[in-house]
Amino acid sequence: MAEERKAPPSNMPNVGRPGGGPGGPMGARMNAQKPKNLGKTLARLFSYIGKSRAILITLLVLVLVVTGADILGPMLQGKAIDTIKIVDGKFTVNLEEMKKYLVLMGIIFAASAVVTYVQGLLSAKLAQNTVYRMRGDLFAKISHLSISYTDSHRHGDMMSSMTNDVENVSNAISQSVSTLFSAIITLAGVAAMMIYLSPLMTLIALITIPLTVLVSTNLAKFMRKYFTEQQKLLGKLNTHVEEMVSGYRTVVSYGKEKAAVEDFAQSADKLRKCTIKARVFGSLMGPIMNFLGNLQYVLLAITGGVLMVKFNHLPIGAGLTPGTIQSILLYSKKFTHPVNMIANQYSTIMTALAGAERIFAIMDEPDEINDGVRELDTEKMEGKIEFQNIYFGYVPEKTVLKNFSLSVSPGQKIAIVGATGSGKTTIINLLMRFYEPQSGKITIDGVDITKISKQSLRRHTSIVLQDTVLWGDTIENNIRYGKIDATHAQVKAAADTAMADHFTERLPDGYATQLSEGGTNLSQGQRQLLAIARAVLEDPKILILDEATSSVDTRTEMNIQKAMVNLMKGRTTFIIAHRLSTIRDADVIIVLKDGMIAESGNHAELIKKGGEYSKLYNKQSAGLVT
Amino acid sequence: MKKMFSYLKPYWFLAIISPLMMMAEVAADLSLPNFMKYIVNYGIEGIKVTDPEKGDKLAAGILNFIFGEHYTQVDIIVTFGITMLLITLLGGFFGMFCAYTSAKAAHGLGYDLRRDAYGKVMSLSIEQTDKFTTGSIITRMTNDISIVVEFFEMIMRGFVRSPMFIIGGTFMIIMLDLKFTTVLLCAIPVLLAVVIGVLIRVTPIYTRIQQKLDKVNSVVGENIGGARVVKAFVREDYECQRFDVANSALRDENLKALTTMAIISPVLTIIMNFSIIAVIYIGGFNISIESAGMSTGDIMAAITYITQVIMSVMMATNIFQSIIRAGASAKRVNEILSTKPVIVSGRKTASPDKTAISFRDVSFRYPGTHGRPVLKNINLDIKKGETLAIIGSTGCGKSSLVYLIPRFYDATEGEVLIDGINIKEHDLDALRSKIGYVMQKSELFSDTIEGNIRWGKPDATHEEVLAAAKIAQADEFISRFPDGYDTFVAEKGASLSGGQKQRVSIARALVRKPEILILDDSTSALDLVTEAKLRTAVRESSAETTVVMVAQRIASVMEADRIAVIENDGSILHVAPHEKLLEISETYRDIYNSQMREYGKKEVL
Repeated sequence: MAEERKAPPSNMPNVGRPGGGPGGPMGARMNAQKPKNLGKTLARLFSYIGKSRAILITLLVLVLVVTGADILGPMLQGKAIDTIKIVDGKFTVNLEEMKKYLVLMGIIFAASAVVTYVQGLLSAKLAQNTVYRMRGDLFAKISHLSISYTDSHRHGDMMSSMTNDVENVSNAISQSVSTLFSAIITLAGVAAMMIYLSPLMTLIALITIPLTVLVSTNLAKFMRKYFTEQQKLLGKLNTHVEEMVSGYRTVVSYGKEKAAVEDFAQSADKLRKCTIKARVFGSLMGPIMNFLGNLQYVLLAITGGVLMVKFNHLPIGAGLTPGTIQSILLYSKKFTHPVNMIANQYSTIMTALAGAERIFAIMDEPDEINDGVRELDTEKMEGKIEFQNIYFGYVPEKTVLKNFSLSVSPGQKIAIVGATGSGKTTIINLLMRFYEPQSGKITIDGVDITKISKQSLRRHTSIVLQDTVLWGDTIENNIRYGKIDATHAQVKAAADTAMADHFTERLPDGYATQLSEGGTNLSQGQRQLLAIARAVLEDPKILILDEATSSVDTRTEMNIQKAMVNLMKGRTTFIIAHRLSTIRDADVIIVLKDGMIAESGNHAELIKKGGEYSKLYNKQSAGLVT
Repeated sequence: MKKMFSYLKPYWFLAIISPLMMMAEVAADLSLPNFMKYIVNYGIEGIKVTDPEKGDKLAAGILNFIFGEHYTQVDIIVTFGITMLLITLLGGFFGMFCAYTSAKAAHGLGYDLRRDAYGKVMSLSIEQTDKFTTGSIITRMTNDISIVVEFFEMIMRGFVRSPMFIIGGTFMIIMLDLKFTTVLLCAIPVLLAVVIGVLIRVTPIYTRIQQKLDKVNSVVGENIGGARVVKAFVREDYECQRFDVANSALRDENLKALTTMAIISPVLTIIMNFSIIAVIYIGGFNISIESAGMSTGDIMAAITYITQVIMSVMMATNIFQSIIRAGASAKRVNEILSTKPVIVSGRKTASPDKTAISFRDVSFRYPGTHGRPVLKNINLDIKKGETLAIIGSTGCGKSSLVYLIPRFYDATEGEVLIDGINIKEHDLDALRSKIGYVMQKSELFSDTIEGNIRWGKPDATHEEVLAAAKIAQADEFISRFPDGYDTFVAEKGASLSGGQKQRVSIARALVRKPEILILDDSTSALDLVTEAKLRTAVRESSAETTVVMVAQRIASVMEADRIAVIENDGSILHVAPHEKLLEISETYRDIYNSQMREYGKKEVL
């Protein structure tokens, strides 16, 4: 299972293309894993409980009380029954004494019930507080991680840590800890009472304990094996259905329906067989425990009987009454239960610790480097950008940018062209400080961007990505994302500039239209328009359009560009695009090839020069003419 | 639920034998306290088995059979002890056997149900799967069916077990002494009232918890997927706040449920123990007035039975809960099973015709939508071997038009003919096997690249795959991967770039050597050079293939034999070659002008 969780395989070329969409299957997480460093994780978990430590301790004290009542119960019950005696072959009873015991029992159990209730409330509170805090911390961590982390880790795994792992840890803290504690106390208490009643019989009772432990841990191992297998198969079914249904058009157009069903049925059949095995193994547990419990009962009854009848005059048999034997028999029933519980908790706790380890692993990731302290001054900022001798690669072996240098004057419109993988998006990643260059530096108005706080840098930069990210919120709030305090009029104006106003107004709910997660209820082109509106509203000094209009038809795009001419005045703009219509008006076009600038200049100059750009251009024209 | 029961038919034998086995196990369990009573009364207390008042005929009979007249107290304990163990073993065996038969029946049913339901999903029309949504289909296929299966497993085992314990236990208590039943009569209504009350209050909370959990998940998902945007807009703190809202809502809802549920355990403790107290007191009182023949063993047995009955009542409420849950799941599964595919295959197969595809007065509106139709009065004939391009602005219905060719949807009005046959009469499999369709959004599957291409033709040789990849201009980048064609494509093709995905999906369509190749804006992520190469290669390799291509770029369409221009109202005014369109179509000229300026050509006015 460890393999399941590894970071992305080496053949994942999208690390070189982090602009690519969200990857990562929501892999079904398997249960019952072993933590790698048990002691350390455990210690850390306890320190994490921190503020809730008081609740935890109170909880354990309450458990002690309830367990005490549970232990006292059978003793009093035995005493109460002992008030019945045989005199002259007839049962007689001391009713007054019996009442005394019964009232005592009543008081103890009423109190125990109250304490149980409080315990229930506290443990709910403890669990929920821990989950809440852990989730909050984890989320804060995730949102402060560097992009390189999110790019290179499976999103499904991060999601799963957020839900399953946190849930498992909290269950272990609130339930397993008290169950375990109660089980140990019960064991100790019961053992003490039994020793007090009869040491010899206690010894007999203990015989079956190692057997119980042996059987339950071994059976648990088998069950876990099939359980894991079962989870894996369910995960497989899940992935299969998800792929086939979300790609249903493809499935249908290739006539693959029957093949898909066969494939599915095969996994479903495996699931059936595996589940039946798991069930049969699971069903063994009860009867075996039952047998061991009864075996103990019978052994104790026999020894008790023999001692009482035959060895009444010897010290070991002295004082054994039917009542004490009954108490011992009752206690013996209390014995198997906690042993069982401990065995059951084992896998829960191991799973939780493995989960905690994964959570801590994420929390231990370094935050995005953010040691710059300078703030950009909105008023004075000009927007002159310089890349100086940049070397960069997503993986050390593969350099994407080689000695890249570029100077952009304030207010310039820079277009970047080049084949896929030539490093266009990488330049943006470095400018936004999503990644840090291996060497060289980038300056804005002469200031090294590592000296500027990331918040300030990014607040003055707007980016529109090819894969549009929209939230499951209203259209208005999506546009307002970059500037929370914008008025409706401002939102509408921004949308108008981005040509998004027209279609938005035509929707039944207008700007209040609720988008589905990822904005899938709009067309790809419409989503891009909204993303542009969002960037426009932020009113940045530096604007970056990374294939931002690739799905918008050319006429609409032309209109957006016209509308943006005014907007772009005094702003430095970066444009990445395949479509030449998108970039033809740029002040400077740079052609990237293998991480270096092959040439630069405006459209006319580059055509005249007859280099890479004109070659590209000529080939395209040729493609047009023939 | 009724339909679900019909799935039990093939397993009727197992389904009947399971509860019988369970009854045997319960009977064994129920008889145990009786033997414990013998041990206590006759073995430990030393009462004579033959005692006219406190004796027991069954016990006496057994002992007589084994030992004859003489036996000691220890003999009694050993005898009944061994009997107890034997019965335990026997009960355990029945229990295990029941687990096996019920699991076999329930999971067999689950398998059949999954296969049928999924088969149904795969037979549905696009509009229907769209309506169900992927997420809901996944839940129905996995979770819901699992819940139904568990329900069946449970009724085969537990449904018999709890009532039997309740009835059997009550019966045994009545046999011991009628007075003990008053304890049950008091305890059970209280227990039921509390448990059912709690359940009624807690059920809606659980629904809300699920919603809150979904919300938490979606915030996390959005933030991981959109990390770049969050950072670019410096919204980390805002997102943390947003998460906190979702997170604390979930916590509060969870707390509500847990605190409501917390009442059950103490109530159970009280009821259980006060019942025991009552039993002991009734026993003691009866002995004190000497009128009723009661013994310590009787009291002990009564305690055991009462505990069992109360626990079983608790279990029964669980079953009740699961019936409600399973009912809801069964309904959801049934919705799939009972959906009839909208698009039904016809019988006819192709007869050769000069016209590959014709649209006759076709109007189209997406099922379930109102307002103006997406496509209006389309009349279009596409000849065999022709390349027809379709162009128009975003949202004008380009994709919708090509959706009608493989019958993803049926035209609202008019008819679509392939090879001269109305596609409604066409055999669906035969129809679709003629077509190579490349989607706008490339859908790849988690398999190797070669496996993905071979999807188009399962029996393709490696050479065929290679050839198709070469035409699709994909060979060049595939062979640069360390694992080449064996490179594994991550789920949904996440490990490939947009242009790479498009080329692999084109190769997948080409490997079928289709009669009709549909390219639905499927070269948009390719640069113009690559796209031009691809177009040339396609034309050279398959001259007889009819090509229908949707595109945004003039450069992509201008060399097509004819170009259909879809106007903004969904109608087609002009279908003609490039040069001619420049003359006659205003829309086409607009598009052309918006794209062609940079090539230094004159604008056409």
